[in-house]
Amino acid sequence: MPSQNNLRIALLAAYAIALHAFEKLIPTPLPWMRFGLANIITLTALVLYGFRAGMMITVIRVTVGSFLTGTFLGPAFLLSFGAGVVSTSAMALTVRYLPRLFGTVGISIIGALFHNLTQLMIAYLVFIKRIEVVIILSPVLILIGTVTGTLNGLVSSMLIDGIKESAAETDGAVTAE
Amino acid sequence: MRSIRYRPFLATVMIIALISGCSLGGERIYTDSRIAMDTIVTISVVSDSSKEASVSINKVFGEITKLSELANFYSEKSELTAVNLSAGKKPVKVSPELFEIIRLSLDIAGRTGGAFDPTMGAVTALWDFHDEVLPDDTKLNEKAKLVSYKSVVLNDKKGTVFLKKEGMKIDLGGIAKGYAADIAIDLLKGDGIESALVSVAGDIRAYGSKPDGSPWMIGIRDPRPASPTENILAALPLQEMAISTSGDYQRFFIREGTRYHHLLSPKNGRPVKGTQSVSIISDKAVITDSMATAVFIMGPEKGLKFADKMGYLAVIVDDNGRIYISEGLRDVIEIKRPE
Amino acid sequence: MLSRSKGLNKRFRPADIFLLVFLLSMSVSGIFFIKEVMPKSTNVIIEVDGKQRYSLPLGTDSVTEVKGPEGPTIVEVKNGKVRVTESECPGKICVKQGWVDRGAIICIPNRIIVRLDAEYSDKELDAVTE
Repeated sequence: MPSQNNLRIALLAAYAIALHAFEKLIPTPLPWMRFGLANIITLTALVLYGFRAGMMITVIRVTVGSFLTGTFLGPAFLLSFGAGVVSTSAMALTVRYLPRLFGTVGISIIGALFHNLTQLMIAYLVFIKRIEVVIILSPVLILIGTVTGTLNGLVSSMLIDGIKESAAETDGAVTAE
Repeated sequence: MRSIRYRPFLATVMIIALISGCSLGGERIYTDSRIAMDTIVTISVVSDSSKEASVSINKVFGEITKLSELANFYSEKSELTAVNLSAGKKPVKVSPELFEIIRLSLDIAGRTGGAFDPTMGAVTALWDFHDEVLPDDTKLNEKAKLVSYKSVVLNDKKGTVFLKKEGMKIDLGGIAKGYAADIAIDLLKGDGIESALVSVAGDIRAYGSKPDGSPWMIGIRDPRPASPTENILAALPLQEMAISTSGDYQRFFIREGTRYHHLLSPKNGRPVKGTQSVSIISDKAVITDSMATAVFIMGPEKGLKFADKMGYLAVIVDDNGRIYISEGLRDVIEIKRPE
Repeated sequence: MLSRSKGLNKRFRPADIFLLVFLLSMSVSGIFFIKEVMPKSTNVIIEVDGKQRYSLPLGTDSVTEVKGPEGPTIVEVKNGKVRVTESECPGKICVKQGWVDRGAIICIPNRIIVRLDAEYSDKELDAVTE
């Protein structure tokens, strides 16, 4: 069981890295704007396999991803790592303590919100140090994050259903897989 | 089991396609500003290829630079200077382009009865609006006598220009920028560009429309702006037309309460009173550039009548800040001056 | 492990919609609010040979040395105005132009344009005849 869990986490983390790399190819109206597609994987893992899986995937994605792009421990890494950890924790806490209040989409929006807020915090403390820049940027980032968070939440939700259905079909095969 | 796995993936792809769909392909406005003709020249073209746009824009800047080297009044090496230095002595052979601008300027001088005169050079050389030099009266009177477009002799066959009076000087400052804008538009049209906006300082010519289908919108500078940020007098769409403005605020200095500006009377070589600014709209920038100066020299009332007669559209601001607008413009122009 | 999370995957719950609408309206009104409240920031754009090299806020005093083909040109921003204090060019017309709060300072020999970004009060305009 544990080894199988690790395999699953590794596989999902690989998906997350691939998605993360893939979305860099998508043109966006603002150069630094991203869809946060990797969050689809994090959220799915979080809902299906729990906090540990979600957090592992985030940490692996950020770290291995930064190795691949050569930005390990650089400023971009700091932003991604901090934001990833806080956002995953926020989603995990919502799943744990408010499971009946928010649906998958809501959890995804919360994740996106905390992701952006953390990035702004870190950027302010470490790089920009000008509060007016943060104030100007925050509504824009939150707006974009809410929209992408909703879309990612919808996809996660479908993914979760898909995996659950296939698990139900094979009935118990999940543990024997 | 397998078919189900693809569903979320497909959904993701679809969503991505949906989001990025709006930013893919299509026409864009490419703009480049450079120094040429002793001023800022801005070229905007609508194209779906940045490469095509930059190739055309570079070509245009190349031509404009060439033209400005020919027609530069202040450069010792220009062909125009060679003509001016031979005034009263001998005809000078010039390149066809310079010949054409001089021919056009004499033609316009004739049509305006000398209100626009390309032979103002001897007078303009006395004024220096940067260093605030007020020329000496006797000198000014003496040089004003050298202003006469009728004393320019063109030889079509030989391609030569001859200034009859010694000391006479041609200054194409009131027409060359407009001519450059026209050349730019011709080149861009020849390159198959569907829509463009060229502005050589304040001489603007446009054709086609922006990618969203709307026309190019042009502002007219308020000669006496209420504040540095509220400096637009009026705005109007410009389609297949050119617009130029001559104003007493462009180059001037104020001495003992009198405004000395660069729009000088061909009769006495002194700044013309009665007008603050004149904008002229017609089909060619070479016309609007020179005619804006001519109408300014004529004054608001006579100038507006002249513009009507010639079929140009005009916006004139007189000495008291009153705005005169040609009838043909009243439906499309929007006054922006804050009340 | 799966059974524990069963029933969790509800796509939308009322709170989701509330959160979505709340964040959207907050951020959109935030954007409009900031646009209204923030002083319109004008930038001093410095171009060398047609390429933008600097963008300085007009509201912040600064002194910038710009390298042109003829040598350095020094641009000073102070009290919402800009001027060229020194320039390696023959005519020094750019220096003589003094303080400027609209339009542009052009140093032709050194291929430098110093211009103010929000030059026109109407952003919908494509060009201004002046």
